Amino acid sequence: MSDEKNDMTTQTPTKGLPCLSRRGFLLAGSSATVVLAAGCAGFSFPKGTALRIVEYPRKRIASLSDVRAHRPISFSYPEPGPLYNSFLVQLDGEASGGVGPDNSIVAFSGVCTHMGGPLSGQYRRDHAVVGPCPLHLTTFDLRKHGMVVSGHGTDTLPQVKLEIENGEIYATAVMGLIYGLNRNTA
Amino acid sequence: MSSEHNGDQYVREDAIPLPPKDAEVFTTGCDYCIAGCGYKVFRWPVKGPNGGTAASENALGVDFPAAAMSGSWVSPSMHNVVTANGKKQNVIVLPDPDMKHVNKNGDHSIRGGCIAQKCYNPDTPTRDRHQYPQLRVNGKLERVSWDDATDIMAQVSEYILEKFGVHAWGMKAYSYEFWENTYAITKLAYRSVKTPCFSPHDQPGPGGDAIGLRDVGIDKFSASYDDWGSAEVLFCSGTDPYETKTMIFNEYIKPAVDAGRQKLIYVLPRSTAGVAFAEKTGGLWLDLYPGTDTVLNIAILRIILENGWEDKEFIEKWTNNKWETDSGFGQGTRNTPWQWRTTWGKFSVKGFDDYKKWVLSQEWAELDAASEVTGVAKEKIQKAAEMLAKPINGRRPKASFGLEKGNYWSNNYTNSSSFACLGVVCGAGNRPGQMISRFGGHQRGGRSAGGYPRAESPEKVNGRRKRPIDLDRWMVEGNLRFAWVIGTTWIQAMAGSVDLDNAFKRMTVEQPSQVTSKNVASAVAAIKQRIDDGGMMVVNSDIYPCAPIGTEYADIVLPASGWGEHDFTRANGERRMRVFQGFYDAPGESKPDWWAVAQFAQKMGYEGYKWKDSNEVFEESARFSRGGRTDFYPIVWKAKKDGKKGHDLLSEYGTNGIQGPVRYEYGKLVGTKRLHDSTAKVPTPQGPTVVKKAHYAFNSQTGKLNFIKSPWEIFSDFFDFIKPQGNELWVTNGRVNEVWQSGFDDIERRPYITERWPDNFLEIHPDDAAARGIESGDEVLCYSDRVPVQMGAGFVVEGDDLTFTGLQKKGLIKLTQARVPAVAMVTPAMKKGVTFMNFLHKTASANALVPRVPDPISNRYRFKLGVAFVKKTGESPYKNDLNRMSFAPRIIT
Repeated sequence: MSDEKNDMTTQTPTKGLPCLSRRGFLLAGSSATVVLAAGCAGFSFPKGTALRIVEYPRKRIASLSDVRAHRPISFSYPEPGPLYNSFLVQLDGEASGGVGPDNSIVAFSGVCTHMGGPLSGQYRRDHAVVGPCPLHLTTFDLRKHGMVVSGHGTDTLPQVKLEIENGEIYATAVMGLIYGLNRNTA
Repeated sequence: MSSEHNGDQYVREDAIPLPPKDAEVFTTGCDYCIAGCGYKVFRWPVKGPNGGTAASENALGVDFPAAAMSGSWVSPSMHNVVTANGKKQNVIVLPDPDMKHVNKNGDHSIRGGCIAQKCYNPDTPTRDRHQYPQLRVNGKLERVSWDDATDIMAQVSEYILEKFGVHAWGMKAYSYEFWENTYAITKLAYRSVKTPCFSPHDQPGPGGDAIGLRDVGIDKFSASYDDWGSAEVLFCSGTDPYETKTMIFNEYIKPAVDAGRQKLIYVLPRSTAGVAFAEKTGGLWLDLYPGTDTVLNIAILRIILENGWEDKEFIEKWTNNKWETDSGFGQGTRNTPWQWRTTWGKFSVKGFDDYKKWVLSQEWAELDAASEVTGVAKEKIQKAAEMLAKPINGRRPKASFGLEKGNYWSNNYTNSSSFACLGVVCGAGNRPGQMISRFGGHQRGGRSAGGYPRAESPEKVNGRRKRPIDLDRWMVEGNLRFAWVIGTTWIQAMAGSVDLDNAFKRMTVEQPSQVTSKNVASAVAAIKQRIDDGGMMVVNSDIYPCAPIGTEYADIVLPASGWGEHDFTRANGERRMRVFQGFYDAPGESKPDWWAVAQFAQKMGYEGYKWKDSNEVFEESARFSRGGRTDFYPIVWKAKKDGKKGHDLLSEYGTNGIQGPVRYEYGKLVGTKRLHDSTAKVPTPQGPTVVKKAHYAFNSQTGKLNFIKSPWEIFSDFFDFIKPQGNELWVTNGRVNEVWQSGFDDIERRPYITERWPDNFLEIHPDDAAARGIESGDEVLCYSDRVPVQMGAGFVVEGDDLTFTGLQKKGLIKLTQARVPAVAMVTPAMKKGVTFMNFLHKTASANALVPRVPDPISNRYRFKLGVAFVKKTGESPYKNDLNRMSFAPRIIT
């Protein structure tokens, strides 16, 4: 895992720049394809994860020191408004795409990929799951990149890409199409 | 342990193209579960232009971003690129937001919501679709022409029919993949070849599945989905609709529970999301041991009778008394398929009082005894009786009863008959919100082209009746010389599958005479020689390479085409009929199965196979639906009258369709919401309309219901043998929400789903896991040296010959071995002592552990009664993988 992380962290981050037109195709663990992945400092995905990332203007979410395990922090990203409701949470142990201590901090869209139901307030610490969605009971595994545990979402829960700089946590990109949109470049 | 998928990765897309205003629109339904959701297909050229985000700029008529619950969001999984009319086209396969029934307002399951990914696209894992007929030459499949392939089949078949007769020529085929295909297949088997060697994909032979319902007088698909929603108590036996027919749960059950109008009772050894939801909302989980439904049902029924909570008025009006019951379960003449069951003398009663006397005298149904056998706490059994039948302020609760395979695939006859009688005692069967039916498995796409040639069947039971064949046993015994396997794995789909696999191997690839040349005459000569040597020819029609029946054993593989590639028709679980329109080109030379059947039949010299398109098959098949629950004859009759094609007229009913049986009244086609409907007006027959008693009364001579005894003793000898001994565990099986049936569309060829379920799993209770040192993510082996297989007894004289004890005495039970690997998921969702696997995983087949000893009363398998030792063999690659297979519990509420 550490080799792969190094592969990615050797890339030069393009911090603070709007990158709406720059889509990266990132295959974690394959140095041949991470060339396109910009701004992925400290971002760890297991080998074999195929990602298409859309970068947005970087947005500060919280200070690392403000993050408490299992206490979700709500934010809106990349735009304001309920469609973009997202949450950040620190899990127990490593998570796919996690940052911070043990790569345990992750962030996801808070809108269910089935019918757009609200997932806020549905974080379950025991199993690192969000859900069930109040509409039709879908649950998502936050350790495993928002994979459906049980239910109806036809895609994983979009994951917000995070990075840490000087003790501050920033959102920089989204992976997966956010519910309601036809493209992530809103 | 090997994963089934082919290595393609799930890429999370960040955009989807929107259909332009002038995109072509097609209507279809989901290809998967019984719910039968309606879908719209939007098609436009890949070169564009695409639609815009304003409602005025796209064919959806929706402003993007689409609102939550609008049903108009297009997820990346709903988009694909296909070839249509020879050109690359975008397609969006969208759960129809205009649905008024089933998947209302565009709701969908994960299976149907991803169905666009089913379309053939060489850039996706669908690239291995069969495109050309193939012949196995020197052990390898090589491309041949349709002409050569069907020539070989016909020449070999003529030889076999001439030399060995119809009992050596058999077919095993799906019963669901559209009326046009199943009509053609059964026309060939029943009317042209006239062979009794025919069996649907999930049974040893033809015939009903929940036969206890039939004998009680209930049509198994009489309910409408609205009845599941309008019941105040819903008794779900052997299934969780959330997992296996999602829209019935999402759109009918859950809204009723959320509104406080309904409570749920689940009868299952395993909890799932729906069960957990039921418990959270004041419902009940009756966590029984597999196979003990009869005891549980009668125990509940006994409490109801002891307290006088039965629906006396309903029983008086709608059940047969002593005199009405007398003749063949109240079914009339003795010469009927169910006649022989009455000759056992073990099931008939003389009216309700006699039935009540029987129930109250069964010691095994007393609360203490029943609780011990079923493993369900006494308080829960008592509570279930109260919820179902205890009047509140003088008013009875409205209860409906739905069952599926956990019930009738563990102990077929008495589980389903005791279930039906429980419903009848509670006053269910013929009114809104008070119905008894199957929920259903796959959609209803079976259309028999004639009667099964029962007189030719090699199986005879005590009494006078012959009964349909057990094709598996017939094949294992070496009687088949030709087997045409259409759209099923046969081997993994059937019970005791290791023994079945060995038989296929023995009869095909291990035979000395094999094809060594593509030359037709040479191939025919080699296969004829094999047949003379006692071997068999296998033909496999399928859309993908199917291991092992197609990939290893078949001499000829025929490329099938299917959903989305032609116009087809069928009905869902409330008899709702739709046309599933074709919207893209089938790959290569693949053809629908009706076409392949027609090619072969014409080479055999059979008349009546010169169909030009699937509509012609549909129209021809219409008269075989007359009087049935999906009678669509009036549609075809009216279409002809109006100068239209049958398919076109039914297409006008769009994704909402029309419910069978269809009637013609005053110039219009009218559907039927529910059967046995005591609240419906009795229709006057007009034009081609057939009005059957089942429209307004029950399926018996009198139109009333029968009570039927369900003696535990006729099953308990088998149960005592099969139940776990020592350190063994139940290894039961079933479906899992994210995967449809055989999984060839999803776990094998849909990377999104493959990541979720890369291998078969074994859900195991924490105590059972701890005792074996097993953690979630560990690789485990389920193994048994005592999988019983019935070896003979196709011809029975004495009544007790077919009991398990009788079979054992005659030395007809062989014990076989099975080894099935899986990835452990430790979860309190399982009842202690019971484990659960996905039922039809090709490389880790749960059915290998399943006894191949059918219910002697109904000739149906006890698929749910697998038993094995379970041990840890290592750690699976997923245990510490953050990318694949979630081990989070599926019962989080």
